[in-house]
Amino acid sequence: MIGFVGRRLMACAVLVVMIAVVTFLLAFSATGNVARNLLGENATADQLAAKNAELGLDQPLLAQLGSWAGHALRGDLGISWFTNEPVSQAIANRLPVTLSMVVLAVACTALISVCLGVAAAVRGGWLDRSIQVLSVLGFALPNFWVALVLVVFFSVSLGVLPATGYVRLSESPGGWASALVLPVASLVIGSTASAAQQVRGAVIDVLRQDFVRTLRARGLSPRSVLFRHALRNAASPALTVLSLQFIALLGGAVVIEKVFAIPGLGTLTINAALQGDVPVLMGVVVTLVVLVVIVNLAIDVVSGWVNPKVRVR
Amino acid sequence: MLIPRLIRRGGAVVAAAALVAGLGACSGAGAGSSSAAKTLTIANVLDNNSFDPTQLNIGNQMQYWSPVVDTLLTRDKSNKLQPSLATAWKYDPTRTVLNLKLKSGVKFTDGTPFDASVVRANLTNLAAGTGQNSYMSQSVTTYQIVSPTEINLKLKTPDPGLIDYLASVGGVMASPKSLKSPTVATTPVGSGPYVLDKAGTVVGSTYTYTRNTGYWNAAAFPYDKIVIKPMTDLTARLNALKSGQLNAALTDTNSLADAKRTGLTVNTTPVNWNGLLLMDRDGKLVPALKDVRVRQAINYAFDREAILKNVSHSEGALTTQIFNVAGDGYDKSLDGRYNYDVAKAKQLLTEAGYGDGFTITMPEAANFAQYNAIITQQLAAIAITVKWVKVPANAVIPEILSGKYPVAFMTLGSQSAWQDIQKAVTRKSPWNPLKAGDPRLDKLLAAAQTAPEAQLPAAMKAVSKWLVDQAWFAPWYRENSVFLSDSRTAVAMQAYNVAPGISSFSPKE
Repeated sequence: MIGFVGRRLMACAVLVVMIAVVTFLLAFSATGNVARNLLGENATADQLAAKNAELGLDQPLLAQLGSWAGHALRGDLGISWFTNEPVSQAIANRLPVTLSMVVLAVACTALISVCLGVAAAVRGGWLDRSIQVLSVLGFALPNFWVALVLVVFFSVSLGVLPATGYVRLSESPGGWASALVLPVASLVIGSTASAAQQVRGAVIDVLRQDFVRTLRARGLSPRSVLFRHALRNAASPALTVLSLQFIALLGGAVVIEKVFAIPGLGTLTINAALQGDVPVLMGVVVTLVVLVVIVNLAIDVVSGWVNPKVRVR
Repeated sequence: MLIPRLIRRGGAVVAAAALVAGLGACSGAGAGSSSAAKTLTIANVLDNNSFDPTQLNIGNQMQYWSPVVDTLLTRDKSNKLQPSLATAWKYDPTRTVLNLKLKSGVKFTDGTPFDASVVRANLTNLAAGTGQNSYMSQSVTTYQIVSPTEINLKLKTPDPGLIDYLASVGGVMASPKSLKSPTVATTPVGSGPYVLDKAGTVVGSTYTYTRNTGYWNAAAFPYDKIVIKPMTDLTARLNALKSGQLNAALTDTNSLADAKRTGLTVNTTPVNWNGLLLMDRDGKLVPALKDVRVRQAINYAFDREAILKNVSHSEGALTTQIFNVAGDGYDKSLDGRYNYDVAKAKQLLTEAGYGDGFTITMPEAANFAQYNAIITQQLAAIAITVKWVKVPANAVIPEILSGKYPVAFMTLGSQSAWQDIQKAVTRKSPWNPLKAGDPRLDKLLAAAQTAPEAQLPAAMKAVSKWLVDQAWFAPWYRENSVFLSDSRTAVAMQAYNVAPGISSFSPKE
């Protein structure tokens, strides 16, 4: 198990470095207009040159990369060019916001999709067909459209949930929960539709296997077969799907944060990309990559723990 | 068995959602809660860039700094200059010495008293800075402190814009101790009606301001608390406004019908003009543009009325000039100078020897996508072909200012006439990137610069007439900036700024 985790850690580290380098080269090679955007229309050529020197943009690209990497390894991700906020502080402020939303969405997705998937697999018939139709529908609806419909109905018409914003948990648990209901619901509809189908397929596959027939022949109750044996064997593909859902939900959060004006990493990323705020963009990309890598690693470890066959891959 | 259990659990989920909704309703987060009677909550389309006085911007970001600092002068609801930290101001006959009488007894939030030395410290700090508005105090060459409450600003040459600047970023006064502080960008130390509540502020999400106790003009600011939320997305702003989370927010002309239907109050101000910058007046890139008849033909080629009606939903007024309606340079009689007339345009092009047309290159930006097809089609009607070059949204202004393009579409803000001249008309102006000039124009500008106050409007109008006659630009219309407010909030729009300052808001009785 230790060797398995070690190999995964090495692969993850290489991945983080590669993505950071590629992002850096892409982002920093297009910084020609940053000084002008920062200093405005009246800036002279000398002022623009001075600003470029101050930001280090007059250095060769590899020197800039070395400087950024050196600082980043010491935990210094720099300062936003456009808001003067330290990047690490900006990320620290916004990461909990995005994680609140995504973790809740993943938890809800797991709960609902397991219920629906198992119900569809076990009961079959009209329930299975209904769940499949709903899944296709849920998968087809864009989450930003779902979000807008939910806002119009629950916030503008009924006035029962906030249309925008985020409240810190420490500030008001009720406000925090109510602020997240609609964003999480918008994310969950699409992800559940996909995950429920995967769970259904995994459970059906397991229930068709020989060992299940043997268990039934030994007189075990259907509940015991399902919950103590079949679900455990179906857990591995389900966990993989959930890890993919986590990554997809991080991407989906970018749009949902925009719709609900939630100050999370998605909003930070969009604003940084539109402005050309490269230090922020780099910080966010590296953070998200590390986050995704950690989740994948955790899922690999859990899968390996649940199913020893996985470890030999 | 399983299904009834699922249904029961589903019921539990619905009950939990109802509970959460109830908790949310009790949290008082929205602008509509009863505790918010003296709270103004507004959205801003941009995040704050900085509280450093050298980096302050006008436009939307003015709302972030206007609560915490005073300016030397201010503008009232009818755009007239009024005293603020400077109680009186007067030029000498040569208009090269501006005498300011200053308010006494004002203190910054760090306890530093406001006096003439503070004015000098702030204006020199701004002039030496690298911000977008450093030019606002760069015409001052010498500071003569007469007394703690009186100062003379001496200029090398007259600057007709200086007084206007003192009511804007150029007149912002911060504690001199804070100007070089490492926290100057994040911690404002001013003498304004409010102070930034750091505990209630999360950069990028919420900026909270509470009253500056003992402020000298508290009666002019009715709210106890100001909350500004950066919201870049228009739909999010509208939804927040309609659901009662906000009292007011900037929007655009496309959302007017929806806003009116939901009972929101529409407040407008015609700050920006939309149209073409005909930057290559000397024909450096496209020789045809050197001929005034070609530039006039371009002006005649656009059906301004149809564009205003169909793109901006008739929210604006047709114009041919770049000057603000509230400023000295605006001359109403010039607005009908180039009524849509394709035949006339073709005739002018033929007379200039370009009846077969020519090609111009323009920057194509996603921000202005709705205008590109119109420009292509209307110029094609007079045989001018547009070659578009794709430009990223954040590079539009640098690209236009780089001097690579002979013509560009732009939505350009207008303030006082001299400010607009400095922005786009002189040989050094940033929005005159190909540095076009004309001795006749130079003469008019010199006359406007040195004109006595009483003759200033006439001198500025003469500049405007020359620019329109010579078709230096092809403005289509002044588009209304639209600021929506709820039924409890009154907003007085400002002539020179798309977003109203904090003093422009008041609760409706």
